[in-house]
This record gives sequence, C-alpha cells and structure tokens, in this order.
Amino acid sequence: MQEATFLILTALADGPQHGYGIITEVAQISVGRVKLRAGTLYTALDRLRSDGLVSVDGEEVVEGRLRRYYRLTPEGTKVLAAEAARLQANAAAALIRLRPGLAGGVA
Amino acid sequence: MSEMTALERGYRRVLALYPRSFRAHSEDEILAVLLATAEEGQTRVGLAEAWDLVRGAMRMRLWPAAPRPRVVRAAVKLMLAGAAAELAAVVTVVVTSGAVRAAVAARYPADVHSVMVHQVAVLAAAPVAIGMWLWLAWANGRGEDWARMISAACFGLLTLSVLSSLSEHAATDAPASMIAAGIVWAIGLASLALVFTPAAGRYYRPQLAQQ
Repeated sequence: MQEATFLILTALADGPQHGYGIITEVAQISVGRVKLRAGTLYTALDRLRSDGLVSVDGEEVVEGRLRRYYRLTPEGTKVLAAEAARLQANAAAALIRLRPGLAGGVA
Repeated sequence: MSEMTALERGYRRVLALYPRSFRAHSEDEILAVLLATAEEGQTRVGLAEAWDLVRGAMRMRLWPAAPRPRVVRAAVKLMLAGAAAELAAVVTVVVTSGAVRAAVAARYPADVHSVMVHQVAVLAAAPVAIGMWLWLAWANGRGEDWARMISAACFGLLTLSVLSSLSEHAATDAPASMIAAGIVWAIGLASLALVFTPAAGRYYRPQLAQQ
C-alpha cells in the first residue's frame, strides 16, 4: 500500500471526512511531512471507492460549493488494520535490532 | 474576485483532462478543494499542482478504476518489467556484438554474415517488442480479454525465436544475449500464467463470472 493511500484511510478511521478535511488530517497525522495534493487525493479516492474500501457518506453545499464526505467501509477498516499491524511489526523489529547490546548486536 | 475567476478558469482547464464520467461526479468537488488549498492571492495554477492533476488524469485514463485482482496487477508489473528486460537484452546484444562476431568467425567463418544480419534484425525489432510489452501491459491492466489472447500469441512467437536462437548455437557463441533472452522469456511465461489464473479470468470476463 502506498503511503498516501495509507494516510487517507487513516484520516477516515475515526469518522467521515470531506476532501479538504482529509488533506488537513493527513498533514496532521504525518506531522506536516505529507502535503496531499488534490490530484493525488482524488485519484486515490476514485480507486479506493471502486475497490470498496471507501464509500461516499453524504454531500452538502457550503458557500455554494459541493462538499462530499467519505467514510471507511468495513472492508476498508479491515485492510487498514492489517496494514497498520504489518507496519507496526516491521517498526518493532527495526527498533529491537537498533537497541545496542540486545539481540546480539554488539558481540 | 476577478483574480479568483482567473484561477478557477485555470483549474478547470487542467481538470478538462480528466475522463468525462469522473468530471461529472467530482469536478466541482475537486475545484472547491483546489481553491481551498490555493495560496492567498494566487492567480495562476502552480506547476507542481498542475503536474499532480495531469498525472492523476493520465492514470485514470490509462487504467480506469476497477477492482483489479492482485494477479492482474502483478501481471501488469511483470509486463512493464518485460519492456525493461527487452531493453536490457538489446543493450546486451549491442555491447557484445563484436565479441559474438569474433567467436562465430573463429568457429563458423561462413556464418559471420548471417550473425550480423541477425544482430541488425534484433536491433530493428527492439522498438516494436518494447512497444508490444507496454501496450499489452496497458490493455491487460484494463481487463481487455483480447489482450490476454494477444499476449499468448506473442509469447508463442517469443518462444519460437528463443528456440531458433538455441538451434543456431547462440548459447555457446552469444551466452550473454541468450541469458537476457531467457530472462525476457521467463517474464513472459510468468505474466501469461498470471493472466490465465481463475481470479484473473473473473476480471477479464465478468459476464461469465456472474452466471
């Protein structure tokens, strides 16, 4: 899974968001490192919708502009949880190996 | 206000590159996001955001979103790798051409001319072969059923050409080229096996899968 996709799903994990909301959430989650652009976001959303990981939650018009809300589907929640567990396992393995004196690092 | 409209017009011009169905559903929505993320006082579409939009449009047009099974995605990647391997194979032929001719001249002096003809033919056919790999990667990714068939036919031709090279002592006279051709062949075999798996079959022929 690409990082942008992972972050988009993460932004939706605690509730529906609209496009601009996802961009600000992703910036927050990544501590400002990932600035999602509109083209990337909507190409990813298009794909995620057709893969059944994300669905449209509702629409509203704010100041004459369309706002569409997206949410995770049960399948999307499952896929995100599996990916998060995988990344966590990798990170844990890296941290263990980096700890000096453990796991036979310094002989 | 007129600043805003100029920027909006600029965004709409780039968004016009997207497929019609996508625009009908999402153009106003994306536009709102673009305007919300624009810098204060921005009047023109920035280079980076324009490129990001163009890239998105290209992706959507080349490979419309469809639940693509993992085997098909893997097959497409393999076919792209096939194009790269083909390029590497041609470079190998060029780089080793002198050594191969020398090896042939030492053992079968009469065949040097035909080896040269063969090398030129490989060079001439390379752009076509690379183009075929890319075209088939694209068409298979879209789930075109004919693309599977053409892939199979191309693999047949590839197999024949590898066999004919083998029968011409290429393995002993041009080992590097033969290894490169073998890699290209293996990639072809693997990608073909993937597109003919049952999971891929349901993607290529959804009407049959529903019955």
